[in-house]
Amino acid sequence: MTSADRFERMIRWFPPRWREHYGAGMVALLEDTYADGEVPLRAHFSMMRTGLVERVREFGLIGSAATANERLRAGSLTILCGWTLFMIAGADFVKFSERWNGATPRAHLMLPDLGYAIVRDAGIAGVVVVLLGALLAVPSFLRLVRGGNWPLVRGPVVRTVVAGTSVMVFTAGISIWAHLLNSGDRNGGLWAYEGAVLLWCLAVIVTLGIATGAALRVSRQLDLAARTLRLLCGLAITLSVAMSAILIGTALWWASEAAYAPRFMREGIGNGIVITSSTFPLSLVIAGLLMLLGLGVAAAGVARLTPSLRRREATL
Amino acid sequence: MSKATRLNQPGLGRNNEPPLLILTSLAAGAKHGYALTKDIEAFAGVSLGPGALYGAIARLEERGLIEPAPSEDRRQPYCITASGRTALAQAVRDMRALSDVGASRLGLRLSTRRAGRSVATFMVTQ
Repeated sequence: MTSADRFERMIRWFPPRWREHYGAGMVALLEDTYADGEVPLRAHFSMMRTGLVERVREFGLIGSAATANERLRAGSLTILCGWTLFMIAGADFVKFSERWNGATPRAHLMLPDLGYAIVRDAGIAGVVVVLLGALLAVPSFLRLVRGGNWPLVRGPVVRTVVAGTSVMVFTAGISIWAHLLNSGDRNGGLWAYEGAVLLWCLAVIVTLGIATGAALRVSRQLDLAARTLRLLCGLAITLSVAMSAILIGTALWWASEAAYAPRFMREGIGNGIVITSSTFPLSLVIAGLLMLLGLGVAAAGVARLTPSLRRREATL
Repeated sequence: MSKATRLNQPGLGRNNEPPLLILTSLAAGAKHGYALTKDIEAFAGVSLGPGALYGAIARLEERGLIEPAPSEDRRQPYCITASGRTALAQAVRDMRALSDVGASRLGLRLSTRRAGRSVATFMVTQ
């Protein structure tokens, strides 16, 4: 690899539009500064940090240069990214909590039942909100395609369809296999099945990532009417409320199960691989951390869109 | 407007932050990235990483405080605009006002000894 290639690679942290404008000058600076010598870690870090900041800025999540519409859109999409983390965490929670009520003393069912109901209902509400948002964007998407802009969004859309179809086929296959196995084999008795389930989980996570990435790329191309954008922002805020409810419900279920059904928690999925704990089972710790991260991301989105939404409503 | 607000109004940050250092450097003439880092290192003792330098250049250009100068090779020089000069002058005045207050409260006499260089010599008046 020539030193020019090396420096070209270093500027890949920055978004393409930024590279078009500043890339040549930046590569020249790197060549002048480091020539054929070693590039210090500090310089790599400087490039990475600034590059990521520029990407976030171009997305519209930070910076004063973004228009009100760009801020609203960036805020809503950021909340959607938070929801993706919640979906992964939710799948983990659902798997871990399978048959929890059978393992919990009847006298202590009320609190975990309330927590679980909150998680379930808020989760359903979240899915409905996301579907409504997608439906609202359909007319703009069709206008985009009819306007001859299909090549702009073809890549991410095709990737999402291929990944989604593959996961559906994988899900059907694994369900059929599960029905042919007994309970023991399905729950740790058969390593091949465990491996397939792990692969399936990874496939679902990757597909969710691809779908979210596609939603981000496609929505940046959409020409949304002011009213539609306002409705989407409202849905995004509702989605973040649903995320908060899910986190509260999970915490309630977790705390009450740890208190009243420690054996269920200790023997749950994921426990015993690295650590065994009835208070902090690994699966739930991962789900909880993902939820906290998702809520943090959603909070950043709400903080970005709320001021613009208020200003816009004041002017209407 | 409070003094703190005025100091930050041009958005140039504190006196050791990249935007202010870049404007100060460009006030002496157009420079490309490498020349900027060397000049800033010489007059402020601050070594700017490539990312920090170009991040600040992007913000300054976005706000119309600097602009690209004609270039014949890959090195892209930048020069300060009229708005950039105004913003820098305001920041310098604010820093001067602050340093005057600090000096008077400490009983120091400030003098700029070497013309043309941004070096201030602090002398105790006693």
